[in-house]
Amino acid sequence: MIEFHNVSKHYGADTTALRDISLTVAKGELVFLAGPSGAGKSTLLKMIAAMERPSAGQVIVNGQDIARIKPAAVPFLRRNLGLIFQQQRLLTDRSILANVMLPLLVTGASRAQAEQRARAALDKVGLLDRANAQPLALSGGEQQRVSIARAIVNRPQVILADEPTANLDRASADKVLDALKAFHSVGVTCLISSHDEQMLDAAARVIHLKQGQLEVAA
Amino acid sequence: MTLWFRQHRYALAAALVHLRRSPGGFLFNILVVAIALALPFAGLTLLDNVRPMSEQLSVDPEISVFLKQDTPREQAEALAVSLRQTVRQTVSDPQAKIVFTPREKALDQLKDKSGLADVLTTLGENPLPDSYVLKLDAFRNAQAGGDVDQLAEQIRALPGVDTVQVDSAWVKRLAALLNVLRLALLLLAATLGTVVVAVIFNTIRLQVMTQREEILVSKLIGATDSFIHRPFYYTGALLGLCAGGVALGAVSLALQPLNLAIAEFARLYASEFQLAPLPPLAMGGLLALSAGLGLIGALLSVQRHLSRLN
Repeated sequence: MIEFHNVSKHYGADTTALRDISLTVAKGELVFLAGPSGAGKSTLLKMIAAMERPSAGQVIVNGQDIARIKPAAVPFLRRNLGLIFQQQRLLTDRSILANVMLPLLVTGASRAQAEQRARAALDKVGLLDRANAQPLALSGGEQQRVSIARAIVNRPQVILADEPTANLDRASADKVLDALKAFHSVGVTCLISSHDEQMLDAAARVIHLKQGQLEVAA
Repeated sequence: MTLWFRQHRYALAAALVHLRRSPGGFLFNILVVAIALALPFAGLTLLDNVRPMSEQLSVDPEISVFLKQDTPREQAEALAVSLRQTVRQTVSDPQAKIVFTPREKALDQLKDKSGLADVLTTLGENPLPDSYVLKLDAFRNAQAGGDVDQLAEQIRALPGVDTVQVDSAWVKRLAALLNVLRLALLLLAATLGTVVVAVIFNTIRLQVMTQREEILVSKLIGATDSFIHRPFYYTGALLGLCAGGVALGAVSLALQPLNLAIAEFARLYASEFQLAPLPPLAMGGLLALSAGLGLIGALLSVQRHLSRLN
């Protein structure tokens, strides 16, 4: 499903974000990326979403080579990925229901169909009763669960979560993790970057990165 | 087709939502663009009203030959032969038409056309002379001016001829003036069209900046470029369309007080000239043109500013 073959990423002559990374993530796997800040976790996730291109090596996602993918094909690649960010990036000028409907509307779904599926997604993360609330009226944990609902509403094959529990208290972090595990349990491939030791303890597979290099692939 | 329609409906709705969020800014932009459009629209309305008048006037070379008042009718009618010979000798125009207008008929025509029938009746006797009108086909080229003048001089020397008048000269001057005005209007329209495109370009630039986060999020969740660009295109086209409507409305409103003054002026010349608004088809065309200018401004802005976000 996701393959990295000797992938490096350089920013200018001085900065190297990733160095000779090779790894494979199979369909339906739950994989955690661990490592200190600046280790290259975010860069690795961004490459899978074609937000960054490798300087060397090959990144294959769903059979598509990210280095060679045409710009017009990128949106269609991303429709099979659910992206969750540390900063939730919710649009504050509309309700959380409208935020969750957006990924469906961009694919051309009807408003009625989008609303129905967005409500179902919000129900799965336990926020259906807040559907008409504005994002800024929610707590950080709730906002992150909205961003999870937005990521899964399109029924993606892969969820990429970049530090989804950072800045959250323990209870909120647990709810976010439970939600992600629930989607993994129905066959969705999940890649989650995290500092959270408690989160990593519960993981079946952890990939450690340090200064852009692979340390241990468990 | 349904998907295409749905996506366009979504884009239009998105554009309207964004416009509704800042109605003051939108109205101000409409006003600025409408002012820029109103000037060429007003000029076009004026030309459209003047054009039918100038088209009714013949621009073919015509020479009016007025005979002396005391010329007997037989001599006047016989002059046609001399005129034809002179025309043939000078310009060899077999297509030339020579029309004799007796003084009685000329008076009747004057009564009909001028609206001064009452005044003319009070004169008692007919002040008009017999006359000929020469319609020349051979002079429709650039050298016509000199040939017409030469012919006029020769006709002036014929016995019984009082006055010779080359009728086409002032009509040509009017046509030339209208052409200059038309060209000036075209240049003005092109300049102000550029202003409209620039204003809408800047409006869309500001919208792109305001909606930067929405654009970036949309890209991350799989929105295509067309999906992201479309609402901006609708915004530009709507802005142009609304401004065009306001400009046309303003010009139509301005015609009312202007027509009052013109009516007063025209009455002095026994005329009923009035400036009419442009016909509906032309108005529709101008609205489409305004929307098109808005679309061009939006297209240029989106291409320039959204490419920077990629």
